[in-house]
Amino acid sequence: MIVQTAFADNAQEKALSVRDLTKDYPGVRAVDTVSFDIDRNTVHCLVGENGAGKSTIVKMLTGALAPTSGSMAILGRDYAPSSTQDARESGIGTLFQELHVVDQLTVLENLTLGMEASRLGFLVKSDLEERVTKTLAAIEPTIDPSARVSSLSVAQKQIVEIARAASSGASIIIMDEPTAALSEREVERLFGVIRRLRDSDVTVIYISHKLDEIFELGDNVTVMRDGKHIATKPLADVNGRPELIEMMVGRAITHDYESRGEIADKPVLTVKGLSNYLLKDVSFHVNEGEIVGFYGLVGAGKTEVARAIYGADKADGQIDFLGRKRPSSPKEAIEAGIALVPEERRTQGLFTELTIRRNIPIMNIRKLASFGVFKDEREKEVAREYVGKLGIATNSIEKYAEKLSGGNQQKVVLSKCLFADADMLLLDEPTRGVDVGAKSEIYDLIRDLANNGRAICIFSSELEEVLGICDRVFLMYDGRVEAEIQNGAEVDIPQILNVVTGGGRENP
Amino acid sequence: MTDLTQNPTSGDRVKRFLKDYYIYLVLILVVVVLSTANLDKFPLFERGNFLSERNIINILRISAPILTLAGAFTLLMISGYIDLSVGSAMSLSAVVYAMLVINGVPFLPAFVATVLLGVLLGAINGFLVIRLKITPVIATLITLSLYKGIALLLVEDGVSAIKSGGDLKMPGWFNDYGRDGVLFGLPWAFWVAILVTIAMIIAQDRMKLGKYAAATGGNPTAAKLSGINTARTVILLYVLVGVCAALAGIARSSFMSLGDPLSGDGMELTAILVVLLGGTAFSGGEGRVLKSFIGALIIMSLTVGMLTLVPAYFQTLVVGTALLLAAASNHLVSRRDSEN
Amino acid sequence: MTDQAIAGRRLAERDNRLSDEMFITSLVAGAAVALFLLASILVPNFFQFQNVVNLVTNNWAVISLGVGVTFLLVSGNFDLSVGGIVALSGVLAVWFAQSTEGANALSSGWGMPTWLAMVCALIGAMLIGAINAVFVVALRVPSIIVTLGTMMLARGIAQVVTQGSQRNTNLPSDFGVLGNMTMFGTSIKLPVVLMAVLILVAVFVERKTVFGRLTYLIGANPVASRLSGVDNARHVIKLYLFSAAMAGAVGILLASEFKSGFSNRGMLMEFDALVISLLGGVAIAGGFGSVIGMFFGAIILATVTSAATGLVLSPDWQFTLKAIAVFIAIMAQTWALARRHA
Repeated sequence: MIVQTAFADNAQEKALSVRDLTKDYPGVRAVDTVSFDIDRNTVHCLVGENGAGKSTIVKMLTGALAPTSGSMAILGRDYAPSSTQDARESGIGTLFQELHVVDQLTVLENLTLGMEASRLGFLVKSDLEERVTKTLAAIEPTIDPSARVSSLSVAQKQIVEIARAASSGASIIIMDEPTAALSEREVERLFGVIRRLRDSDVTVIYISHKLDEIFELGDNVTVMRDGKHIATKPLADVNGRPELIEMMVGRAITHDYESRGEIADKPVLTVKGLSNYLLKDVSFHVNEGEIVGFYGLVGAGKTEVARAIYGADKADGQIDFLGRKRPSSPKEAIEAGIALVPEERRTQGLFTELTIRRNIPIMNIRKLASFGVFKDEREKEVAREYVGKLGIATNSIEKYAEKLSGGNQQKVVLSKCLFADADMLLLDEPTRGVDVGAKSEIYDLIRDLANNGRAICIFSSELEEVLGICDRVFLMYDGRVEAEIQNGAEVDIPQILNVVTGGGRENP
Repeated sequence: MTDLTQNPTSGDRVKRFLKDYYIYLVLILVVVVLSTANLDKFPLFERGNFLSERNIINILRISAPILTLAGAFTLLMISGYIDLSVGSAMSLSAVVYAMLVINGVPFLPAFVATVLLGVLLGAINGFLVIRLKITPVIATLITLSLYKGIALLLVEDGVSAIKSGGDLKMPGWFNDYGRDGVLFGLPWAFWVAILVTIAMIIAQDRMKLGKYAAATGGNPTAAKLSGINTARTVILLYVLVGVCAALAGIARSSFMSLGDPLSGDGMELTAILVVLLGGTAFSGGEGRVLKSFIGALIIMSLTVGMLTLVPAYFQTLVVGTALLLAAASNHLVSRRDSEN
Repeated sequence: MTDQAIAGRRLAERDNRLSDEMFITSLVAGAAVALFLLASILVPNFFQFQNVVNLVTNNWAVISLGVGVTFLLVSGNFDLSVGGIVALSGVLAVWFAQSTEGANALSSGWGMPTWLAMVCALIGAMLIGAINAVFVVALRVPSIIVTLGTMMLARGIAQVVTQGSQRNTNLPSDFGVLGNMTMFGTSIKLPVVLMAVLILVAVFVERKTVFGRLTYLIGANPVASRLSGVDNARHVIKLYLFSAAMAGAVGILLASEFKSGFSNRGMLMEFDALVISLLGGVAIAGGFGSVIGMFFGAIILATVTSAATGLVLSPDWQFTLKAIAVFIAIMAQTWALARRHA
């Protein structure tokens, strides 16, 4: 499997080289002939907007996805992992967002998990313990190896996982948004760990939306955009945030917002001081007939705002919707006239094992019943009506939801909300995984609904979407609403990206 | 967001202490209550109080089956799996062992053959759960019915158990293992239970098996990503439980001097009860063999002690209530942990 | 796009076919008929109309319990407490109805009129259901453990009340009426008719009402159902109360039939109720299954056990046969659905 190939002469000095890497999905080229090198013992940052192709590259590096074409090499030797296990054995460790430590074991037991020296099933003393303890001490001396992992903070657990990767011989450790759940002090500590790793012969590939982190930590940066490689250069040569943002955004975002005219200041939803485990003092209002967007990167708190308004999560603060009772559960929210299209369509929004007909009335199921008895014929009529109205591409209302395409599934979820007769719709990532055609149909529908006086909140991590349809946009970062902008031709996109990547704090 | 430097308050330390040692406190409490209660009034224990040598010996030898079973069952539940067939496996083993002995097979071969039967019974469970991917509850309900059915079929029609009668005579030594052959006043079966428990404690603390069980139950994805063969771990644990059920069956059969196809009925509930009482989380990952052993001692002391205080027909009620309380407290403790 | 068109055409054909649930139910019904015919060939005198009637009438108790158990399984929860509740409610009904001055503890009760005794016994049964609901819904303890505990709790109370045996003396003369009343001039007793009514109502509720719909939704995807405004907790509470009430009624009818409250009555009925649901194609993971399927599952089990008796197999075969039947049912269901979706 490992053979010398014709990479550049100095390839052996490169921790990782990527050549013409391409990944095609049906109809989409997620990664398009990307080539770059990562120097040994550096912190190499990977940046780009959502959908730029970063995570696809990471999946190919960790063996979770096979490239369509192109090649990779570690220290000049061909690298084509067949599985995540294979990638680990080739020396690529990954710090997943979901932690893979066993809470019930001690730190030391976690560090040696799966690598124990044993004789006849009995654990025997070996230098392994000493080695991993040393590795841990080198990167973070304050963690007690005999402590139970359940007593550690999220940051400490991450460090344990990093130490495990390092002590199992990983020469490259990939970290995907590792600071999403950390406090500022913990972030500092993690950075210390990453620097010490770099100094002990480990290369770190660091992916983050928070540009400040990248400037603080990174040696080199690779910028991706629309699946293409834009640049790889030392961060010292990058002229501050503006240049990085410029590279990430490139051409002006196609931005087909058409003003829907003046929207009367007639608030239907007023939120004051919304706070919970993630949100910090979120306040805003939404007017009748208005489409409001919440834009922020992963972990900024958009979904949490939606769930708090919907009564799905607890939160402090005031929520006033048309003077009605504040919902303490989704049931009450629907009764108050609020409907949610959840972030995860297949697991939260849709009953995939039911048919279209059965899915549509769920949020207002009693409307189709008299004295608790279901009216099947009425249900069929309703299903046909919505299939027609929303243009759900299906030949039968008896089709199982799991068999529909993403766009049509989303239309079914929207039908559920419309059937609930909601006065306000909360749409969380309404077009994720939806093809272009269905996307524009969904946008038309949203505009229609707003024109009929409904209030719409869109929670999205796609800037194009938010700028394409929303009248007003709230920019979120780290659980806060950092800025409010009126949509229109004069929107300053680099400034938006600056705010949502944490640049709004210094220059408000 | 939590701070990195957490200084536990004294309240936390008390909680921690209670969580780690409550089971021993409960045992002490049970023993104190039962031994201060004046039992002279009650006909079953006219010879003295709870702590009398005779009573303790009595409790310990009745307890031999559950004490044998508790350790392996704990490890299985730590790995996040369950075995509802242990009672039936125990009955079947008791019947097979008694049949072998009554037909003239000497002690050691009969013993070994029954233990091998335990291996088979456990392996069948492991096969159904891991290879055929049947939910553990359903798979072991199937074998609960199957093993019990076979045990019933092995016993001749019209007879309730394998016992002396007709041409066949149970040899005199049959009782030795579970009742009469004593070392320091206690039968061999009890010492085997102690040995098994020590072996399980070693397996938990000093062997890969215990660690892999915790990893499998605590975070299966992490376990697999670490290259652990979780399927093999679980099958091995089912086999261990099968073996312990066979040992428990031999003990019970020898104690009662017959092979009763119903002798293990309800054992799965007792096993779940003592394991939950010992603080094992039903979500997996967490638990101690030794604490389950103590849990078994508590339950048996209570059951036997109670027989001296109240009529026998209170037993089901008390065990059922204890199971609910153990489940609830277990749950409250683990929820508080996850909230911290 | 062409791919989609082809997929669409394939799905159109599929839509004309039965839903998975009807498919499995038909399989189960087919299996029940096939087994009956097979038994008719193997067992002399098996093929008689009376035999068909007996298959149902001898199993009215378990089938009635199966209704509540099936609803709960469809919502994703176990109920193993029903057997214990059968014993409890029967014992309570007798105890409440026994006259106050009996010769000893076991022959004297509360002296309530029969109807009041039965109502109170039913309330007692529903209290066990309420405990199930509290532990499962509020404390989130796994339902299998909770209901094993309440199974013992209910039977334990019954044993205490009967001092480990039974109460059957000093009962009002009308106590035995309900359980022994024959209907329509045939030998069919009231409990069997009630079972039939229960099945019909249950099928109607399951297929035609909002309540039935919600049960499926919760079992199919509890997260999505909550976000769609379903009050999962409240619904599961209702289901546990319903199941306990059905078990309570069965216990009371049995007590009336035998004019006794026996603390070991209903032993293993919870397993039989679970077994017939599984035989009937109810999925343990929730969201799938039907009362009709459960009914045919009961017929399968009854055919197998009575054929075994007809073949002069000892009654001890029942456990082995049940184990094999459930195993085959589960493997067959998995296999059939996998092939169907292949």
